[in-house]
Amino acid sequence: MWAVITKPLSECGLDMKVSFKIWSWLASLGIVVVAFPLRADVQVSPARVVLTRAEDCQQLLVTEKSGERERDLTRDARYIVREPAIIRVDADGLVHPLADGATMLSVIADQNETTVSVTVSGVANPPLVSFEHEIVPILTKARCNSGGCHGKAEGQNGFKLSLLGFDGTFDYEALVTQGKGRRIILSAPPQSLLLQKAIAVVPHGGGKKLDPDSPQYLRLQRWITQGAPRSVSGELPLLSIDVEPATIVMRRHEQRQLRVTAKDDSGVRSDATVETDFLSNAPHVVEANSRGMLQAADIPGEAAILVRYLGHVAVCRVIVPRDGQRFSRPPESNFIDTFVWDKLERLGIEPGVPIDDAGFLRRVFFDVIGTLPTAAEARRFLADPAPDKRSRLVDDLLDRPEYADYWAMKWADLLRADKIKVTPQGTVGLTRWLRKQFSENQPYDEMVREILTAQGPVQSESPVAFFKALDQPELASRSISQLLLGIRIECAQCHHHPSDRWSQEDYAGMAGFFTGVGIKKLPGGTEAIVARRGTYAKHPRTREPVMTRALGAKEADFSGTADRRQVLAAWMTAGENPYFARAIANRLWAHYFGRGLVEPIDDLRTTNPPTNEPLMDALATHLCQVKFDLKAFTRTLLASRVYQLSVVTNASNQDDRQHFSHAFPKALPAEVLLDAVSQATGVPEKFNGWPLGTRSIAVWDNRMPSYFFRIFGRPVRATVCECERSNEPSISQALHLLNSPEINSKIAGRNGTARRLAESQLSNVELTDEIFLGTLSRFPTPEERALLEETFDSGGATRRQAVEDVLWSVLNTKEFLYNH
Amino acid sequence: MVTIGIGERSSRLCNGLSRRHVLRLGGTGLLSALTLPKLFESPASAASDSTAKARACIFLFLEGGPPHQDMWDPKPEAPAEIRGPFSPIATSVPGTRFSEHCRECAKIAHKFSVVRSHSHADNGHMTGYYYVMTGRRAPFADGEHPIPTNEHFPSLGSIVSREMGAAGKLPPYINMPHPMSAGGPGFYGAEFAPFVIEADPSQPDFEVKDLGQIAGLTESRSALRRKMLSGLERERQRNGRAATMSTYYGKAYELIGSPEARRAFRIQEENSTVRESYGMTQVGQCALLARRLVESGCRFVGVDVPGWDVHFNCFPSLKEDLIPPADRAFAALVNDLDQRGLLENTLVIMMGEMGRTPRINAQAGRDHWSMAQSILFAGGGIKPGQVIGETDKQAAAPTRDPVSVNDFLHTVHTLLGIDSAKEYSDSLGRPVPLTDGGKLIPGLIA
Repeated sequence: MWAVITKPLSECGLDMKVSFKIWSWLASLGIVVVAFPLRADVQVSPARVVLTRAEDCQQLLVTEKSGERERDLTRDARYIVREPAIIRVDADGLVHPLADGATMLSVIADQNETTVSVTVSGVANPPLVSFEHEIVPILTKARCNSGGCHGKAEGQNGFKLSLLGFDGTFDYEALVTQGKGRRIILSAPPQSLLLQKAIAVVPHGGGKKLDPDSPQYLRLQRWITQGAPRSVSGELPLLSIDVEPATIVMRRHEQRQLRVTAKDDSGVRSDATVETDFLSNAPHVVEANSRGMLQAADIPGEAAILVRYLGHVAVCRVIVPRDGQRFSRPPESNFIDTFVWDKLERLGIEPGVPIDDAGFLRRVFFDVIGTLPTAAEARRFLADPAPDKRSRLVDDLLDRPEYADYWAMKWADLLRADKIKVTPQGTVGLTRWLRKQFSENQPYDEMVREILTAQGPVQSESPVAFFKALDQPELASRSISQLLLGIRIECAQCHHHPSDRWSQEDYAGMAGFFTGVGIKKLPGGTEAIVARRGTYAKHPRTREPVMTRALGAKEADFSGTADRRQVLAAWMTAGENPYFARAIANRLWAHYFGRGLVEPIDDLRTTNPPTNEPLMDALATHLCQVKFDLKAFTRTLLASRVYQLSVVTNASNQDDRQHFSHAFPKALPAEVLLDAVSQATGVPEKFNGWPLGTRSIAVWDNRMPSYFFRIFGRPVRATVCECERSNEPSISQALHLLNSPEINSKIAGRNGTARRLAESQLSNVELTDEIFLGTLSRFPTPEERALLEETFDSGGATRRQAVEDVLWSVLNTKEFLYNH
Repeated sequence: MVTIGIGERSSRLCNGLSRRHVLRLGGTGLLSALTLPKLFESPASAASDSTAKARACIFLFLEGGPPHQDMWDPKPEAPAEIRGPFSPIATSVPGTRFSEHCRECAKIAHKFSVVRSHSHADNGHMTGYYYVMTGRRAPFADGEHPIPTNEHFPSLGSIVSREMGAAGKLPPYINMPHPMSAGGPGFYGAEFAPFVIEADPSQPDFEVKDLGQIAGLTESRSALRRKMLSGLERERQRNGRAATMSTYYGKAYELIGSPEARRAFRIQEENSTVRESYGMTQVGQCALLARRLVESGCRFVGVDVPGWDVHFNCFPSLKEDLIPPADRAFAALVNDLDQRGLLENTLVIMMGEMGRTPRINAQAGRDHWSMAQSILFAGGGIKPGQVIGETDKQAAAPTRDPVSVNDFLHTVHTLLGIDSAKEYSDSLGRPVPLTDGGKLIPGLIA
């Protein structure tokens, strides 16, 4: 059944040659532009304009080409129409018809003159207006059917349209037959509520959406005048849309006009630029306005512009290099460095500097095991002269029990181990199972197969509790798609996904894998998950049965299996699955690098591409090659020079947020921060009912009452999204760290670090070193030493108080509170 | 908003008018110079900072469902099993009557307005509370006590704090005397969560968590600590380490370090006459503290006033314990703000998540009834002294100008100069406007 995946990952590797070609071509652009300015050449497209309706228009594109460098002159060109009665061209280079006939149009730009022939028909005798092709796009572009307005589930003021016009039949009903026939008045078209509301001559909550002299208004009016036909004979479904140009290199502050052309089944093409929605995924690099004009900002980088018209999506990819940047290519440890340096070189972004040993130690401890290094560990690592000490440290950490604790906690969040939802016993069972997976380094694909096919008692040491949380087939289907494939199909529950290929059909098709999952009561009041035969799921709107199939795959074949989920698990973890390896590779990348190659990390789609496509492919391939060994994959990530960059920025990379030219400071998860504070102060946190000294990352009880966890954003485990864990800072957090009795009692604890050091024979300098090593994993600088020395000399305080004050100060530095 | 100037006087003709009303006006020729479309610009986009007066909002939430018919919407003509034992009294506004236990509010009825036609269809406490504060139906069942997550929508307080930002050293959004269960930031995240004062300001030992003096820490040691910390942070920047981390520690630092900011929380500094005028009750002192916080720049204070779910033998407790403290707190707050010249810029709202059943039940209580509720509005640019909307003879449903949850929220946004149509992406990346539609409460805005 999984033979028909559109883009096979031949033996665990996407066809990387193709993307390489594109990128090396793009790379050459940057260099050519600077080095060999060639004679400019102006191109005007299209060479021939055919307008067949009174409200049609055609976007012209005027482009100056000089070597590989392109400049948009669409708005700078002069347009001279030979027969001004036939057409007019507006300031944006849009050709509007005025009367039937033919004319020539001269486009003068940069001392070049180009002639375009224009033919206009259908003005005097307009053809019938197509509801699907000509009316629905107007409603979409004017945002009538948006989620904030009539497109939302309950409509607006009694008028409901399908979201973004995905259901033409529904919309036609709503306009023509509902609303007591007032929305469309065939006998007096201008009196139609649709028109009157659109131009707001009667009160309209959404305000004025159209100008009465706009082509859109005129087209609506003409459609009503023609009797508001549902369809036009001979109209063909829209086949595809093209965006031009599809890849662009822009300079900073430059503008560029896009054009969108729709093609129907017979190959007839028409301009759809004006009716298309444009959305940039990185507006800080490139913004797109509603007319399809791109505006590059000051920041070099990349953007993908989502182009959406009548349920079809396309992407335009834009790269904005920093020009004139010298690039000295750092050495490479592995393929990660190759791809990142390639990208940075193309963008003209200089990578930052490598991180020092102390920084590496602290970062890798937090990232791998969620734990702060102790002063002794820091001292030992800093003193170690071995050249391979960093990789040995990573090996050691991966073998520590905290590795299993920390990653079990992270996955318990994702697998919804909420003790209220799945019972305390279920939470314990799931957490213990996860800990075992990570400590034994179970291959990820095997782990997922076990998760997907889990059955048995909820409290058993197994992933069964996950299916107690996912207690509906549709909930299971969309949660699992998001978590394991990085595909958010939730949108397709109510309507076609607005920026992906998934329909309500796909949504129901996927849900069919989980229809056999049930909960059975066991004697003694416990429960078990059982897998029964299962059946198809129903289409969310039509309630018709939908054949079960995985996303993008053929209909599933359940012969010879009692549990439908096994078929899904096999499809998902098969080498050629295009989503599975990428989703987990991106998730792990995001954990270690502070940001995914795709963000949000579980929203992988064509219209939301990775910021480094070849790297994404290579990571997925590598993960397959190491047979989903997560520790091996982690070693590769951590061995890269990219991982070992410092957070220090330079002039060329300080604005870079997408390309990993420097490290990002990461907020510490609530549990990790509390553990770090407890360890640094030497005073463990008391958790009611747990032995003293238990680490927060080892506590399975996600509902343990704790002010600290609450304000620092511990997740409730209500969703499978990592985004549920909040890492935004707040004033309450800051106050708590600076001034709470709880933290202060740790600092001043009777058996705490400060008291122990104060009562020791250590000199003030040695004391300070010890505090720094146990908090920041480094020695203080001479300036810091001098600063803190004053404290000991200030006289007023006792030695113990002075040590407490130093510890307090260091604990409250941002350097302590962040992983950097 | 469109202003029609007639000589010196100007009267704002806006969304408060019904459509029929305007069509009639349109026929008189008075408006002939104006294009009608301009007049009816989207209510949301019509709101702007230039016309909005409110700079802050104090939101007194009577959690559990205050009985509207026993307070601000009495029905003395109804049968005894509906009207209840309380008698109506006259107020300072001729023709407007409240229940006899709302006597403080009755004295100042000309200073605020009552909307008697708020109505929605969510009869649960947690779900109704969530609906009222977010404008969205709850994604959880009533009776669950959900911890706010990013699946939720942001509450009114989080929206106000995000749109208006801080105006001083205080956090822009504060809850007291405990978190409002529906007052969370939803998908906005912790940055827009309320700063919660989890203490009762009517208690003599009242202190705000993490803002007090640490025991055993002298002022000189505190100063030394702050000096060392800022020295270390300065060194760190000089070392070239990332300076990009949050400014929140700076803000908290200012809060602790600034005697004026800390003083805002010190309700003990109010003189006893003022304190007693609000009543030495939890709601009274919360209202007073809210005033102090707003004076110091807080944008939205949400006061949760629990205990209003009066299913059993409700009248003695309404009469003794519930209505008089809330009545007094609201009236004292409005008077105090007025005397200090702050009422014009401070919006005060008192409401609950539902009203209560018209008919008194067999246990001499009233049950959940969300179909009719009253909301009190004062200050912040509202037109005072009005009763807006009306319920039927049994106070069971609106008969005039029904107001939905999103009408309420949109109106509050507009009063604060916030554009309700502004969109943010939720946790799934969907663009979500601040309110789910909504129109202005007719005639409320001055």
